[in-house]
Amino acid sequence: MDDPQTSALLRELVLRLLPAGSPFSPDAALRYARRLLSSRLLSPSSLPADETSLSDSIKRQLALSGRTSAALAFSDLLHKLSMLSGPGSLRHRPALLLLLKSLSDHPASCVLPSLPLPASKKTAVQSTAGGVGGVLMLSKDPDNIREIALREYSDLAIEDAEIDEQTLVRDVLYAAQGIDGRFVRFDPRSDGYDLPETMRVPRSMRTMVRRLCELGWLFKKVRGFVSENMGQLAAAEVGTVAQAFCSALQDELSDYYKLLAVLESQALNPIPSTGSSSGDLRNYLSLRRLAVWLAEPMVRMRLMAVLVDGCKDLRGGAMAGAIHGHAQHGDPLVQEFMGRLLRRVCSPLFEMVRSWVLEGELEDLFSEFFILSQPVKAESLWREGYRIQTSMLPSFISQTLAQRILRTGKSINFLRVCCEDNGWADAAAEAAAHVGTTTRRGGLGYGETDALEALVVEAAKRIDRHLMDVIHKRYRFKDHCLAIKRYLLLGQGDFVQYLMDIVGPELSGPANTISSFQLAGLLETAIRASNAQYDDRDILDRLKVKMMEHGDGDRGWDVFSLEYDAMVPLDTVFTASVMKKYLRIFNYLWKLKRVEHALIRVWKTMKPNCIASCIFAKEGMGVKVQFVSVLRRCQVLWNEMNHFVTNFQYYIMFEVLEVSWARFSEEMDVTKDMDGLLAAHEKYLSSIMEKSLLGEKSQGIVRTLFALFDLILRFRSHAEMWFERIYELQIRGRGKSRSKAKDEFSKTNSWLEGGRKAMMQLAGEFIQKMGEDLDKIAADQLYPTK
Amino acid sequence: MEAEAARNAKETLELAFQISNILETGLDRHTLSLLIALLDRGVNPEALAALVRELSPPRQSSCAPIPPVTAPRQP
Repeated sequence: MDDPQTSALLRELVLRLLPAGSPFSPDAALRYARRLLSSRLLSPSSLPADETSLSDSIKRQLALSGRTSAALAFSDLLHKLSMLSGPGSLRHRPALLLLLKSLSDHPASCVLPSLPLPASKKTAVQSTAGGVGGVLMLSKDPDNIREIALREYSDLAIEDAEIDEQTLVRDVLYAAQGIDGRFVRFDPRSDGYDLPETMRVPRSMRTMVRRLCELGWLFKKVRGFVSENMGQLAAAEVGTVAQAFCSALQDELSDYYKLLAVLESQALNPIPSTGSSSGDLRNYLSLRRLAVWLAEPMVRMRLMAVLVDGCKDLRGGAMAGAIHGHAQHGDPLVQEFMGRLLRRVCSPLFEMVRSWVLEGELEDLFSEFFILSQPVKAESLWREGYRIQTSMLPSFISQTLAQRILRTGKSINFLRVCCEDNGWADAAAEAAAHVGTTTRRGGLGYGETDALEALVVEAAKRIDRHLMDVIHKRYRFKDHCLAIKRYLLLGQGDFVQYLMDIVGPELSGPANTISSFQLAGLLETAIRASNAQYDDRDILDRLKVKMMEHGDGDRGWDVFSLEYDAMVPLDTVFTASVMKKYLRIFNYLWKLKRVEHALIRVWKTMKPNCIASCIFAKEGMGVKVQFVSVLRRCQVLWNEMNHFVTNFQYYIMFEVLEVSWARFSEEMDVTKDMDGLLAAHEKYLSSIMEKSLLGEKSQGIVRTLFALFDLILRFRSHAEMWFERIYELQIRGRGKSRSKAKDEFSKTNSWLEGGRKAMMQLAGEFIQKMGEDLDKIAADQLYPTK
Repeated sequence: MEAEAARNAKETLELAFQISNILETGLDRHTLSLLIALLDRGVNPEALAALVRELSPPRQSSCAPIPPVTAPRQP
């Protein structure tokens, strides 16, 4: 105590306060007072030195004891006190309030517990006169020792055995944050929060505590998941969707913390519980009240824990799909909560979709998107460059929508890479503007699957249209298809005729003597000679001769083919396998044409003309009859063959090729996107192959067909040989008959005879062989052997 | 100024006395004035209250009729 004035005041106070019959001397009391004042005492139930809270608690206290008029008077007085200001007024109002309050709280008869007294005595003893070292003792009745001891003991017993509810409440609040409280601890064996068994707590309280601590368990689980993911963040194994999920969870957890903070502050504030007879005040928060408050957070926390469990091993779109699965719930609280969560979780996914659909960009560091890209060459970009990974497809995006998304992005990339076209950006912007979102980020969110779908559909429509425009106009797809049909599928008849005429003799030689340069030159000649020369130079440039692989003994006919060079981007349609198919058809048709060509050549020599008819005019009747019969049989054979070949060719050319082309043409005009175009082309090709007997089912027939072709060609060569001999003979005969006499006639006759016989033999053999072969073929047909 | 100060002080004391009556602290005017003076000097109000409690004569209240024992335990 510093200044003399204070000590004077203190002395006076002490003198006033000391009761008359007190054994202490004023000095002792004064010393005690000084010690007290310098000890900076603070009782455990001290309230903050805040005036409003002080006055509020005083009023509450007054109100609870039923003295409402007193409370009103008090507030009135306080108000008047606060109006007073200036010299002479109170400097520290709160101090006064505190003083008065503590005086009214603890009336003078209570014990001061924490004052360190110099000599403490356990039991009540008589006070020694004169004050032993300032010990504060009040005189006691020795008769009441027992009663005092009893009371003390009961206090001890109660305090040791029972935990009061306030501590339990506080412990539960700690447990709800995952921290061990004073009594409630986390038990790893039973995996939960619990009170130790030794504590004596009423059973109802115990069950209540257990129920409330479930919240703590759930909280631990959720927080464990979040911190685990945050820890792995540096290792870059956690995808964007998981990150979004964690951040959403953290927001929810921070809300939860806020609630807990409010509850904790409430726990410290005493308010009355109505109807309590005892003088001590209960706290606001009892376990029951806590249960009510924590009911809603419990539901939310349970949801979060379920989600955390469900998403433990998933990533990317699969995680979003799993969370979406949990969102199918009828409770509006759950729905709203899940909606919030999902909006955050799916935003990276939607972002990826948006950028893919509008820009063709795939920004996917952690491979969470359901579209995968593979680095391929330009020509297989369309077919193999991108595909859907169904495991990452979230469940709220349907398969058709996913296909459309894939196709749109693929088209953009295709346009950009293969067609070197940049007009798609406008199309994309248009699409976005049409739907109402922008091409910037963050336009879409979960729950707007319709908006996403609309955007995708619009974008798909426009981009497809743009792509079709480019393909048809800039790259003239239809023209190329037509050119292939004309040249590879032998649609341009005059060109084929010329080609065959020119190239025929070349190809009769063995395959390894033929040079492709020469053939290329011949091809050019053929082109120039026919109507094909009026075709587009670009197209004609792509037409080339191709010599296939040949073994020994192959003739040129077997290895010759034409090919058409389709460049990017059309080679997505005309891939290598497609061109092989075309090649096969070409070979087939070429064979057919060759047979036809051969038959026509034979006809030139075989047709009934005066040369043949005046053969052997000088011979006898028998010889003539024989010859004529042979001739006739030849002619009949030829007719049949011709009939067969013509009809077959008609069938292929008109029924198969033209019809398929018409259908393909129609479909090409109708189809809206690249996939459709590819499908139409496939259908066209496969229908051609099937119908022209090159398909799977017609293998047997095709073999027969080729055997027949071979036969026809053999016939042709035999017939040519035969007629050549006849002409030779005829010329020789005529020459002989002109100059020679009759005696030589016999010689020539015999020579003729010999020759004739040889020819007859030859012809007979030939025809017999033909008959045999035909019979065999017929037998094959009837009893087909595989 | 003096008059005003004196009047202020008197009013303050009056109000404080009424408050203290409402709160049934049992203080009289003189003691209260001493306490206010001490508070103004910056004495800890809690300590002062404790002092008052200790030194003042036992009052009639709902506590036990026997004056209790000094605290034996050390915290």
